Amino acid sequence: MTLLKIDGVRKTFTNGEIEEEILKGINLSLKEGEVTAMVGASGSGKSTLLTIAAGLQPTSDGQVIFEGKNMSIMSSEEVRKVRASKFGFVFQFAYLVPFLTVEEQLQLMLDVSETKLKKEEQKNEVNRILQLVGMDHRKMAYPPSLSGGEKQRVAIARAIIHKPKVLFADEPTASLDSKKSEEVMLLIRDLTKTLNITTLMVTHDEEMLVYTDRIIKMSDGIILQDVI
Amino acid sequence: MNLAWKEMKKNKGRFLILGSIVFLVSFLTFIISGLANGLSQDNAALIKDLPQGQFYMDEDADQTYNLSKIDRSIQNEILSNEKNAVAFSIQMGFLNEKDNKQQSVAFTTATESTLFANVKQGEVILDSSLKDKGIKVGDALTNNQFNGKFIVKGFVEQKKYSHAPVAYINKEDYQEIYRVDEMQLIFVPNGDSSKEYAGLHSFSNREFLQTIPSYNAEQMSLNMIVWFLIVISGMLFAIFFYMMNVQKIGLYGILKAIGLKTNKLFKMIWIQMAIITVVSLILSVGLSQAFNIISPKEMPFTLTITTTIQLSIVFLIIGFIGATISGMQIKKVEPLQAIQKGEA
Repeated sequence: MTLLKIDGVRKTFTNGEIEEEILKGINLSLKEGEVTAMVGASGSGKSTLLTIAAGLQPTSDGQVIFEGKNMSIMSSEEVRKVRASKFGFVFQFAYLVPFLTVEEQLQLMLDVSETKLKKEEQKNEVNRILQLVGMDHRKMAYPPSLSGGEKQRVAIARAIIHKPKVLFADEPTASLDSKKSEEVMLLIRDLTKTLNITTLMVTHDEEMLVYTDRIIKMSDGIILQDVI
Repeated sequence: MNLAWKEMKKNKGRFLILGSIVFLVSFLTFIISGLANGLSQDNAALIKDLPQGQFYMDEDADQTYNLSKIDRSIQNEILSNEKNAVAFSIQMGFLNEKDNKQQSVAFTTATESTLFANVKQGEVILDSSLKDKGIKVGDALTNNQFNGKFIVKGFVEQKKYSHAPVAYINKEDYQEIYRVDEMQLIFVPNGDSSKEYAGLHSFSNREFLQTIPSYNAEQMSLNMIVWFLIVISGMLFAIFFYMMNVQKIGLYGILKAIGLKTNKLFKMIWIQMAIITVVSLILSVGLSQAFNIISPKEMPFTLTITTTIQLSIVFLIIGFIGATISGMQIKKVEPLQAIQKGEA
């Protein structure tokens, strides 16, 4: 079943008098529980496509349809609500809040997504997810005391704690060494499969593609190849 | 989740530094404000303690009260028409003690009124600051222009003029010292400001204070310092939160990307500003009030609770404005830019 549909999306940037078309009419449908990776050279438009699909920037033309609703015509507040409650994000850097403990990072996400859980339920859920990502033993730690891999695990936990429908991951392993990268990718794949989360990911690392269900190769603003 | 408090707890040092600066600035503001009020009292308590009303001065005196001579017929007309109106004169002079020690005083005389001390010929009522200098009731004081002696009949609290203690004397004695028959001023309590008399210039209490030499200049410079300090405290908040925000732009972008409302980030700054300001103000108000109690009597220092509350409210408003201005950056932060910029 299609969860997210990208329909004829174009994106044009204007730099002075020069107009550059980054996305040239992209059509893409993401199915529930599918892990999709976008690959391509720098400037191919994959990150732009990811951020448009995630409601982080508008399209110049075309539409993004999520759960049957056209996000392209939603107000910014409506898009924010979708991002907070239905989407999860993992970026190249963990971007953890430096003054919150690991446990509090996850509680913050539950607050942001307005998940209606009682305090005790919240605590149990935080513990459960931290166990899933193997970080329950460091729940009282602050980000500066965590390693790069640990930070990324916490970022993944934060991205899925509120049970999002779609996980957007922009180069989630780019700042990690190959061993940590594999661990993080395995974690993303296992968690999204367990929790039935659709994943759209951008990566440069071809070794990570073995963990995905679908590979989209982009070049010069168009989809060159779509391999399932 | 109380992000504001959690950040303050984790970064105690930073917030403690800001709090200390706000405390020092507000404390300095209260002290200078106390001095401004004290000097104002020291300069014009005699006038400031009068109720609201209208002052009248000779038009030819060009707003200089000691050149003013009010025509006797106009004075009589006003005093008979206006209930509680009083004519009075003030001149700076000296009183000599028994051992020829001179005391600078502001000789004041008035027609019969409840607003000014009434004294008989040869008597004087002094401001209590002279009691502290050893003058007692019953002492005989002299003046070089006065043939007789002034017997001290009593003291009044906090009656100063032009930084000198007031000496209330009888009208005839005043006329003998200064060789003038006319009074300088007329005061009509609760007087109608639209009421005018030929040859007289009318002033409100506030306007009259401005005619006192040095009062305006003294108050203006002190009040300017007070307001500068208040503005500086607002700028401190703006700069501090600006610096903090610059460091956290990436983080704010990500928080916005995951769906945190911008107003939650604003609330965070406001709560931090309020906590810092309130704690700093409690300390500085307490300390300045303690100073108010223990400050030496000779020091012109008056800091009322009303003044501290008013200034504290101004501090909070200015702090709020400063924090909000710096918070405008947060509004401009685009999640996308933060993500593309790299590590927060």
